[in-house]
Amino acid sequence: MLRKGILLGLIGLMLIGFGVFAQEPVTIEFWHSMSSGHQPYLVELVDKFMEEYPYITVNLTYQGGYGDTEDKVEASVVAGNPPTMVQLYENVITPLVEVLYPIGPQMTAEEKADILDGLVENNTFDGVLVSVPWNKSIMVLFYRSDLIDTPPTTWEEFATMAADLTVDIDGDGLIDRYGTGLRPYNPELFLNYLIQNGGTILNEDWSAVTIGDQAGVEAMQYAESLVPYSYISSGYLSDAVGSDLVAMFVDTSAGYYYNNKAAVDNGFELSVARVPAGPVNNKSAIQGTNLVVFDMGQTQAQKDAAVLLARFLIRPENTVAWSLRGGYLPVVKSAYEEQAWLDYLVENPEYIVMSEAMVDGFAQILHPNYGLMRGTIGGAFEEVILGASTAVDAMANLVLDLTDLLDD
Amino acid sequence: MEAPVRKDRPSLFVLAKENVMKRKLHIPDQWKVRAFWLESGQAYLYLLPAFIILAVFTFYPFFSAFRLSLYKWSAIRPPGTYIGLTNYAKIFADRHFWNAVWNTFYYVAISVPVTLFLALLVANLLNKPLRMRTFARTSFFLAYITPLVAVAMVWSWMYDWRYGVLNYLLGFLGIDLINWLMDPRFAMLAVIIMSVWRFVGYQAIILLAGLQNIDKMYYDAAKVDGASGFRVWWNVTIPLLTPQIFFVFIMSMIGSFKVFTEIYVLFSGQPGPLKSAETLVFYILRIGRFDGNLLGRAAAASIFLFGVIFAFTLIQLFVTQRKVHYQ
Repeated sequence: MLRKGILLGLIGLMLIGFGVFAQEPVTIEFWHSMSSGHQPYLVELVDKFMEEYPYITVNLTYQGGYGDTEDKVEASVVAGNPPTMVQLYENVITPLVEVLYPIGPQMTAEEKADILDGLVENNTFDGVLVSVPWNKSIMVLFYRSDLIDTPPTTWEEFATMAADLTVDIDGDGLIDRYGTGLRPYNPELFLNYLIQNGGTILNEDWSAVTIGDQAGVEAMQYAESLVPYSYISSGYLSDAVGSDLVAMFVDTSAGYYYNNKAAVDNGFELSVARVPAGPVNNKSAIQGTNLVVFDMGQTQAQKDAAVLLARFLIRPENTVAWSLRGGYLPVVKSAYEEQAWLDYLVENPEYIVMSEAMVDGFAQILHPNYGLMRGTIGGAFEEVILGASTAVDAMANLVLDLTDLLDD
Repeated sequence: MEAPVRKDRPSLFVLAKENVMKRKLHIPDQWKVRAFWLESGQAYLYLLPAFIILAVFTFYPFFSAFRLSLYKWSAIRPPGTYIGLTNYAKIFADRHFWNAVWNTFYYVAISVPVTLFLALLVANLLNKPLRMRTFARTSFFLAYITPLVAVAMVWSWMYDWRYGVLNYLLGFLGIDLINWLMDPRFAMLAVIIMSVWRFVGYQAIILLAGLQNIDKMYYDAAKVDGASGFRVWWNVTIPLLTPQIFFVFIMSMIGSFKVFTEIYVLFSGQPGPLKSAETLVFYILRIGRFDGNLLGRAAAASIFLFGVIFAFTLIQLFVTQRKVHYQ
């Protein structure tokens, strides 16, 4: 009886073993937009994944910039043959939701709860976590620490300091250094002001445009008030900070390397702080893409393999590795307690601020026309910054333009 | 009372029928020759590759774009939902569309005649027995063959309002600093200057070829008649150069209506400050690709652009038909 039991047990173990180890080989396509700078780190992570799951082969393919990848994904969907996995912005995901394989239901409750709160909402469609966040950055304040001892923490402080730091050094009647810098076409900066003032772009069910409410108008008026103390340039402000033209400015954390290099190369010191808080909160705009898995002709094995890869990439140790080398910020809460990240913060204290900002940042809305809405918001901001329109008029026109995009 | 019917004249129906029968019976003699069919077949066979390319890359996309303009686009169920002419109504109600139309016409109205005029001058110069003529011809053409990205990069440095050479030179004339790329009043002008510089050499080479084809006897005859230099140029050169001028004019006008790359590169992917350099093609790509995927609206705008170019080409053909002289 005992022998029989042992024999059956062994057979059972063997069957389980076969089940685990004798998986059918499966190949998946992963389209991404990580160019030569980031690609090697992605390749490393994917190689590590394939070591852990030897039956899965991942074909990583660089598809060009985000716009190129979006075009190719759309063409592949029209042709009925999309890749298994892609990195995409939220607004591109929205119209594709019904041909996506939701990743959330395949994750454990702990994994889902670990994703940063600000990132859960913008990957959730009809209550289901469809995609997962991946390469993310946040808006922060860059300031010249050789000029500014304590960075501003509120809108008022920022405006006062910007005025004080706008100076004509050589007395020729021309301003030599501005308190701050503005890129006229910068929708994220305006959205930062809007959210910090308690405003929203649309109402909850997307049936009405709310950006023109009092909060929105005030946000635009605040931006308008900064114009006299702003160096205005369509180019990246790293050039301006390197040329001693600006003392502080708001920019994405992904630009840290370039901004810092420009400052240091020219003998200045650059530090990072939270974006000054508005009347309602001090939230910052999160930017970056997410991972999706397609369900349009893919086999179940392929979909399962892609989900495994998505879950692998956002594991705490992997999102930290990706952030350390790729210049992004981790997307799960537990990553911020990883020893590797804590060690990194000791060496790079400016990332402490970025991490704090990331934890309560806000992401873009999921409306399928958000891309055009964003462009339209950027256009209104530009009109005000370049003095072509008052804040009130620009917001009135913006409401009309966005209303037109609501139902399209 | 019944109306009288004339019996001496066959009815119209009978006449028409007879006419058709006669026509049917009339078979051209050449059709009866086998060699004619072989030759024609061969000719069509040679044309087939070009026709296939045209059909696939020109006719099909055109009709497809027209069809798309009647739909609200969906990638999952292409082409989406039929909405009739709504996309046209939407773009006609969009102030950014009309801004793009205005910018496009502004660009065409200035860049086409200015480029042609300068190209005529350059072609005349290059036709003279100058020293280093070949070098000069190559130099003018270089601007055209240099990659546009490199050209735009150099021009964006030249346009820099603080350190650019253009403002430096204008400073000698007492002109204040112009923020070429950030001031909406000058952004399109900046694009036009760069385009004119780029295309003058190309057009000059085509006109030069025309100039060199003009028979010397016309000039000799004019000389005998005692015509002055300008008279000869105006009454002999220009009329005999009209086929080339017409070709260059049409091609540059069509190209100018479709201007995009110059703007995209010069303003780093943006349509200039306050969309002051947004042309129709830029608008089409912005709403259909860069900022969104309103492909139906983008297709409607592209059909509008097609209509504009088509109308202008017809007008030009009509107007210039009488003015073009072939030797």
